[in-house]
Parts: sequence; C-alpha cells; structure tokens
Amino acid sequence: MDYSAIYPEIILALFAIALPAVNLLVEDSKFLAGVSLAGVGLSMLAVFMHFYDGVGPAVFDNGLLVLDDFSGLFMMVFLSVAFIVILASAKFIEGEKHAAEYYCLILLATVGMLLVAASTDLFVLYVGIEITSISSYALVAFRKKDIRGTEAATKYFIFGGLSSAFTLFGISLIYGITGTTSFEEVGALVGTLDAYKEMLWLALVMVIVGFGFKVAMVPFHSWAPDVYEGAPTTITAMLAAGSKKMGFVAMFKFFLVAMLAIKADWEIVVAVLAILTMTVGNLAALNQTSIKRMLAYSSIAQAGYILIAVAVGTEFAVTGGIFHILTHAFMKGGAFIVVATLATVAIGEKIADYKGLAKRSNFMAFSMTVLLFSLAGIPPLAGFASKVVLFSSPIQSGVAGAEWMIWLSVAGIINSAISLYYYARVVKYMYVDELEEDAPSEKLKLPKSMMAAVAICVVAVIGIGVFPEFFIQLCRDAATALFA
Amino acid sequence: MDIPILSLLLLFPLIGAVVTFLMGKNPKMAKISALVFSAIPLVLSLFMLTEYVQTAGGYQFEESFSWIETLGIQYMLGVDGISVPMVFLSTLLVFLAVIFSWDTDHRTHQYMALLLVLELGVLGVFMALDYFLFYIFWEVVLIPMYFLISVWGGPRRSYAAIKFFIYTHIASLAMLLGIFALYFEAESINGYYSFSMQEINAVSPLFGLTFQIVVFGALFFGFAVKMPSFPFHTWLPDAHVEAPTAGSVLLAGLLLKMGSYGIIRVALPALPDGAHEWQWVMVILAILSIVYGAIMCIGQKDLKKMVAYSSISHMGIVMLGFATFTEIGLAAGVFQMFSHGLITAVLFMMCGVVQHKAGTRNIPRLGGLAAKMPFAATFMMIGFLASLGLPGMVGFVPEFSVFTATFDAFGWLLLIPVCSVALTAAYYIWAMQRTLFGPLTTQVDTEHLHDLYWFETLPLAVLSGLIILFGMFPALVLDYIRPAVGTVLGLLGGI
Repeated sequence: MDYSAIYPEIILALFAIALPAVNLLVEDSKFLAGVSLAGVGLSMLAVFMHFYDGVGPAVFDNGLLVLDDFSGLFMMVFLSVAFIVILASAKFIEGEKHAAEYYCLILLATVGMLLVAASTDLFVLYVGIEITSISSYALVAFRKKDIRGTEAATKYFIFGGLSSAFTLFGISLIYGITGTTSFEEVGALVGTLDAYKEMLWLALVMVIVGFGFKVAMVPFHSWAPDVYEGAPTTITAMLAAGSKKMGFVAMFKFFLVAMLAIKADWEIVVAVLAILTMTVGNLAALNQTSIKRMLAYSSIAQAGYILIAVAVGTEFAVTGGIFHILTHAFMKGGAFIVVATLATVAIGEKIADYKGLAKRSNFMAFSMTVLLFSLAGIPPLAGFASKVVLFSSPIQSGVAGAEWMIWLSVAGIINSAISLYYYARVVKYMYVDELEEDAPSEKLKLPKSMMAAVAICVVAVIGIGVFPEFFIQLCRDAATALFA
Repeated sequence: MDIPILSLLLLFPLIGAVVTFLMGKNPKMAKISALVFSAIPLVLSLFMLTEYVQTAGGYQFEESFSWIETLGIQYMLGVDGISVPMVFLSTLLVFLAVIFSWDTDHRTHQYMALLLVLELGVLGVFMALDYFLFYIFWEVVLIPMYFLISVWGGPRRSYAAIKFFIYTHIASLAMLLGIFALYFEAESINGYYSFSMQEINAVSPLFGLTFQIVVFGALFFGFAVKMPSFPFHTWLPDAHVEAPTAGSVLLAGLLLKMGSYGIIRVALPALPDGAHEWQWVMVILAILSIVYGAIMCIGQKDLKKMVAYSSISHMGIVMLGFATFTEIGLAAGVFQMFSHGLITAVLFMMCGVVQHKAGTRNIPRLGGLAAKMPFAATFMMIGFLASLGLPGMVGFVPEFSVFTATFDAFGWLLLIPVCSVALTAAYYIWAMQRTLFGPLTTQVDTEHLHDLYWFETLPLAVLSGLIILFGMFPALVLDYIRPAVGTVLGLLGGI
C-alpha cells in the first residue's frame, strides 16, 4: 500500500499521541506548544514534499484517501490554521492545567480535517468530521470552571451530535439506494435513479441539514454565536477558520462530486440558503456589542458567500470558493487571535473596550484594521481578491444560461456593503474614539508569540491581496482536481 | 520618455504617507514631510503638462504590466486630455491643502498622512486604464476621507462620516457589478478575459441594447451618487459641514470629480447605446440638481452648507454638459470639473477662515468682516464672483459653453437651467452682503479678528491667480481637453 498519501495525517496523529507522554517528562506548556508546532510543521513539510516531487496524486487504500491538488491545498490551509492557533495558544493558556491534552486535541482535530480533505468516500468523510467534532467539543469546554465555556460546549455538543446524526442518516439512505459510498460511484449512479427520487431527496435534505449545522448555515446557525463567544478565543479561531471550513470541503465533495448529476434539483435550494445565510449573518452582526459575537455572525455571513460556490458549481466558482476559504482562514483566524491577544492584557470582549486602542498598541489596531477591512472586502486586501473571484462566478455562469444566478452576486455585493458598517465601527472605536477618562492609557505589553501569530495573518492578508495570481492558480488547480 | 512618470506620481504620495505617519513624535517634521511629498507630485504633474503632446490624442505616458493574469487584470496607467487637467488639479489641491492645514495640532502626522493617501487614490482613479485598477483606487479614496471626517470633523462628524461611507460604498458596489458585467460581456465577444478599458471599449458597440441599458444604469448610479446628483446628494451637505477644511476642499475639489470623470471615462465610452437611452434621465437629473442646489443655497444660514449645495448645482452643470453628447458640451463639462475644483477650493478655504476667525459660519451672525479682514474679504469675493460665473474668471467659459451646447441639443429647455444663473448670483451676492459688508457684527467677538496668516494667504492667492489666468485664457486648458473629448464622442457614435 502506498502510505505517502497519508504521511501528513500519520505524522500529526503520532505527535498527538506522543504529547501526553511527553508531558510526563516535561511539564512546561511552552515546550508542549513547541512540540505541537513541530508536528504541524513536519506535516506541512510532508504535504509540501509530495508536491515538490511532482509525482501527481497519491492514492491510499484503493482510493479511500487521496492526496491531490485539492486535498493538498486544504491540508495546507488547515495546517496553517493549526500552526497559528498553537502559536497563539502558547501564551494564551499559559499556567492552565491540561496543556498537553489541549494541544493533543488540537492536533487530533486537525487530523480529522485532513482526513476530510483527503476523503473520497462518504464514510471516511463522516469519520473525519467526527474526529474533528469530538475533539472540538472537548476543546470548547477546556476551561471547565468557566460557566460560559461549559454552556457553549454543551450546546455545541448537542447541536453537533444532532447534525452528525442527520448526516449519517442521509449517508445511509444514499448507501441504501446506490449500494456504494464512494463519491465517484454515487456521482455516476445518481442521475439514473428516477425510481428512488423521493428517497434521494430525503437523503439530500438530511445531508444539507447535517452539513448546514457544521458550516453554520441559516437556519441552522444559532449555535455558532454562543459557542464562538463561550469558547477560549484561540479555539474560536480554530472553529471559525478551520473546522467550519472542513464543512465546506465536505459540501464541495458531496454536492459537486456525488450529486452533480442532479444539480438542477438542489441548486436553487442552496442558492436561497446562501442568500439567507449571508443576509441574516450580516444583519445580526450589525448591533452586536461583543466582538466575538460580531465576528461569529460575520463568520455566518462569510459562510453564505462561500455557499455561492456550491450553488453555482462551476469550476470557476469553486476556485472562488476555495480562494475565499483560504483568505477567510487568515482574516477570521487573525481577527480572533487579535481578540485573544488583547484578552491576555485585560482588554475585554466588548466592542466598546476597543476604544482608543490605537493609542495603546499601534500594531494591534493596525492589524485588526487590516483584517477587518479585508473581511469587508476592501481592496487591495486578500478578502477583496477572493470576493472578486467568488462574486463574479455567478455572472460568468449566468451568461451561459442561468440568469437568475446573477442575483447571488447582487446579494453578495449588497451584503458586503452592509457588512462594512460593523467592521468600520470597530476601526472607528480603535482610531477615532478617545480613551475613556478613567481607563488605563499606558502602552500595552503584548506576548511576542501571539503578536507573531497575528503578524503572519496580516502579512498573508496583504500579500495575497497584492499578489493574488499565484493563489488563484493554486485554487484553480484544486478546483480542477475536484472535478477530475 | 523613459521615466515612468505616472507610477512616480503614485509612488511619492505613498512613500510620503508612510514617512509622514512615522513622524508621530514630531508634528513639525510631519508637516514638512507632507509638504515635500505633496510638492514632488505637483512638480511631476507640471512636467507632465509640458511633455504631453496635445495634438497627438489618445493615451500618453502609458505603462502596462500584467498583474493578475488569470483574470486579465493589468496594472495599466495612462493619461489623455480629460485626465491631464484632473491630475494637475489633484496634485495642486493636495499641495495647497497641506499648506492650508499648517496650524493643525491634533494628531498632525495622521492627518497629513491621510491627505497623501487620498492623493494616491485620486490620482490612481484619474490615471487607471484598467477597470479593476480603477475600482481599487476608487475604494482607496474612501478610507482616508472617512477618517478625515470622523477624527478631525465637527460635532456631528461620526454621523456624517458613516453616511458618507455607506452612500459612496453602496454606489461603488453597484459600479463594481456594472464593471463585471462589462468584463464578461466583452469576454463573450473577444474570447478572452480582460479588464482593460481600451479593449472593452473597443467592442462596446457590439453589446446588446438591453445589456447596455441595464449596465449603464448600474454604472450611472455609482457615479451619480459620487457627483452627487439629485436625488442621491443628501450625504454631501452633511459630509461637508462636518469635514475639516482641507477635507472639504479635497472632497469637493477632487472626490466629486471622480463621479463625473467616471461618467465620461467609463459609462459613456463603454455603453454608448445605453447612454443614448439614458440621455433624458441624465438631462432631467442634471437640471434638477442645478435648480434644486441653487434654491437650497438661498435658504442656507451656514456658509459652508451653502457652498456645499452650490457644489451640487455646479456639478449638475457638468452632467448637463455631458448629457448633450456634443463636443462643446463634453469639453465644457470637463472644463467645468476643472474650474469648479479651483473655485470651490477657494470657497471652502474661506469657510474655514471665517469659522476659524469669527468662531461661527452662521451668516446672520456675521457682517462687516471686510473692514477687519480686507485680504480675506478680497479672496472671498473672488471666489464668489468666479463661482457665479463672472466673465473673465474661470467659471464663466464652461458654464456658458454648457448652456450653448444645451440650447443646440435641446432648444428652449435651456430656460430652466439658465434660471439658476440668476439664483446663483442672488445667493452669492446676498451672502457676500451679509457677511462681508454692512455694519460690523456685534454677535461675535470682533475685537481679535485677525486677517489671514501666511499659510492661508498663499494657497488662496495661488488659486485666485489661476482662476483669473484660466478665465482670461481658457484655451490653456481647453487645448488639452478637446482632442480627447473627440475620442469619447467617436465611441458614442457621435455626430
């Protein structure tokens, strides 16, 4: 068997298992973070080496897992997120108990994401999602004395379990109808199953609901703000930038490989849900007072944008979707880490707590501004570049016949305009408003490792924004691999 | 020509913004840095004026590099006779605005840096030959202006800044949709993706009529909000009243021009048939803006608000000129953009001076200022008279030409916009009477009224000189504009 396809997963899993053992010898949580970073780095190296060798897609176990342009790109995205989150965590959870378990769970969650990226089979996909989900439940509850965290974890667990059940039910129906769980084989059969149409629709609804929970699609989004707010902020970054994106990978594979033949049946549903999701997310974000909740709703809105790629379903659209997932990982991950960093120096999670921040830390205020403007889609930042590709895809395919799809672009663009309001509001607080009279005004001393994590995100956002060509090519290759 | 003069024009404000921003500890150095880095583009643009070959037509000083190949996006700059005066105006006004703001003491380095970022964006808009690049610079302009209003503005600055931001952002998104539509439509004809203005405009006559009508609507909406045209104008008085003086000068002098520049650079050449269908809408909105703006001026008590409304009226004249689709109309419209930029800068600077010295801009509370501030009063009169279109000053030629073109194109419809001439004279002279002449006001502290400082006199003198110079010799500007306007007219299937 060719194991090279799963080297990244193996490396990461070994490190995850080794961490608690290492903890018996070394108690220092910074050292543990370093070990985890090494694991992530090695795993990245494994992905990189595979493409550096240029031997083409690697296949494991008769094609249950594949390392190709598509999965490779997503692995890099997930690993980058893990890297940034661990880097920021080193300081964030310093002095707390169970650091080894914390990093172990992050690595395991990432293994699950990698499996989802590499999977070509519904069951493997499901297993990957579960590995990530179960690790995440525990991570959200990491601060078990914290009431909000525990509440969030409970909520997350109940919703997550329910959605898994829905997904599994849908998958089993599909298996019952087609007799296979391979995406490709299902895709080949699905157009010929007129006799089982009703059953297939039921399965589709189940899977949409299941995945809908995972990506926080309206109307299955209500868990997200509570969980994002209650979880330790570094974990929130991982949920928003990593595990949520895993849901999109699953959706791409399920809808655009397995269900492509009957696209006409579901595209309008996904399109309506996309518009609903972005609109509800943005409107709800408008009057949030907690920055984490605001970012959570903004995440929901961004999920709506990415759903456009699923609804349109052309190679160009998927390129845009993947590109936006990539940029969003850095923008949103970075924004949450800014929040986490500021929390370590006793700056609260209310938006009003950010008043006059520019005076206390120019770096943080500038970073947050770049990240938020990028989320809003202001050129020349990464979020603008990816939104351009994403929002132009419906117009492009609309020329070819499905004129109604243009409304997806219109909705996306109007929503971007709305979203600017709440992003700009934070920027206004940081730069325009003066510090409160009685508030402390000395310069902030911020942990270096967290600043490094933020800096990586900011550099990525600006770099991708100014030189998007290379990344668009990567995403296009990935999209081509998905449809291959 | 070997040096990439247009890229340098963008580069220096960018470097200047960074350098100035880093001068946080030393406001004095920040001011000097801003002065130097705004002077260099001015010199460059003067150099460009002399190097530009007026008779050659087309785009000159072109630069082109592939940027995002997959999407057919180029970094492509070039100027023609329409953009050359605008580039000059931009560099001039930013330079003068920096001088005029010499007494800024609140977060000086940020203020000056923002002025330079603004210059970068505005210059980019006037020089971009790629729709994508055009849009990027268009958006870049928003951010510094938002901060200028919201940090250094008046009491209701927060509201005004957000309103400005939302209005113009929504408009630019509509424009973005329109640009994408052009992009894909051109692809279906050309067979390859490109955002290049020239390549898209070259196939624009082949676009379907319905497509043209719809897309022209989107683009026109985007530009009309920026201009601003009635009924999308409501953000303007708020933004102006709250903005700091230099912000107002650049807002009225440059940002509004971006709207009208967009119409003549993008909307008309890219969608000629659509433009013909929308002609009457343009005419009606233009006339409404002209008359409505003028009527609103008469009722204003705030000097600055009056000037703001007069901008709406005068930008209406630009749109009316464009809507005639004749050579005179288009050329006069562009000239009016230029002249309004000069005049309105004087007017807003004077509003700033009055506010600063007298402590209020409330016209009924002022009076007799000429006795105490003779220099200021002179500049204010020059500004007012130029703005009302006095022959011999720069406002007269374009306004008169637009009205001539209107009569040629639409006949006696001219009677409605021409009323505004009387209204304009009325509100300016009335305002002049109430602020400058008559008995010295007792409602404000006039004891300490001080005439202009050097940093106020210098920009006002330069602008007044140019107002008279270009008023006497309009050909200095028109010789640049006319050949370029012919190209637009050709694309319009012109006469």
